[in-house]
Amino acid sequence: MRNFVAIVFDDSRKAYEGLHALWQLDDGADITVHGTGVIHRDQLGHIQVDTKDTHPALGTALGVGIGALLGALAGPAGAAVGAAGGAGIGAATGGAVGLMTDLDRADTREEAADETGFVLGAGQSAVIADVSEDWTTPIDRAMQKLGGKIYRRARSDIRDDSWFSPEYPYGYYLYPYEYIPPTYPL
Amino acid sequence: MAQPATTSPKPVARTEVKDAIDHLRSSAQELHKAISDAAAKRSGATKADIAALTEKAKTVAQSAKASIKAEHGKVAKQLTDAVSHLEATQANLSQSAKATGTAFDTAVKKVLAEARASVQKISEAVAEKRSAAAGNTK
Repeated sequence: MRNFVAIVFDDSRKAYEGLHALWQLDDGADITVHGTGVIHRDQLGHIQVDTKDTHPALGTALGVGIGALLGALAGPAGAAVGAAGGAGIGAATGGAVGLMTDLDRADTREEAADETGFVLGAGQSAVIADVSEDWTTPIDRAMQKLGGKIYRRARSDIRDDSWFSPEYPYGYYLYPYEYIPPTYPL
Repeated sequence: MAQPATTSPKPVARTEVKDAIDHLRSSAQELHKAISDAAAKRSGATKADIAALTEKAKTVAQSAKASIKAEHGKVAKQLTDAVSHLEATQANLSQSAKATGTAFDTAVKKVLAEARASVQKISEAVAEKRSAAAGNTK
């Protein structure tokens, strides 16, 4: 089954351990990883996407794309705001606005997690991934071992969202290989 | 809406031997990485960089074409699509070699998009093969 997965960790180092574990599962053919990205939410609520030093136009596209994907993980309302906000903000905080809208509510309303699904709190980091998995246990076991909380949304559900482009779908904005910035040595 | 994980039934064991498509995916991933790094140089990307990337794209496309012959159904279709994207990658690399300024930026974006799409198609072929291998041992 093809899923978009978000795994939330309490800190960025754990998130990169999670990213590494995910690609290790791919290496062992337990799952197939099509793309990954890592995001962080700071204490002020701003969300950043970790990107390679690249062409500015590419960085912006990455921010917008991941922003739209985050919105999709947060549900239909999040998708609309996420994609619009990402386009205006660009790479550094790409697209996290839509998610923040819901997350801000999540900070103050207990039921928000049920409304939005994926929740990233202040100071937390998350691995976002596009995966094919025949069963969910490999990812669940590996990530829970690292203290990660896992959320899934079937790619077939996201395809129904109005922001999904068949020509350049969300997953294409994720790195198609394990990218760990030099500042996070494992 | 994304939901917290639930446990799914365990499939049977699958082969862990990496085949030609796994290696093809690694080559395509390296190509994407190299293009992305070259794009970071912006106008500093030299003709030698672009020529080397074009050659690499050609080599990966040839490997993909060779792999198609050994495959069937969805896997063969995905590899065929990957070859199309790899050929488009080569064509756009040629365009970028001739372009400057905004035209160069546009060409680089197209190159990276095509390279990304080729990795995706190969990755989907890998997933298809792994899933089929798991099913075949049931």
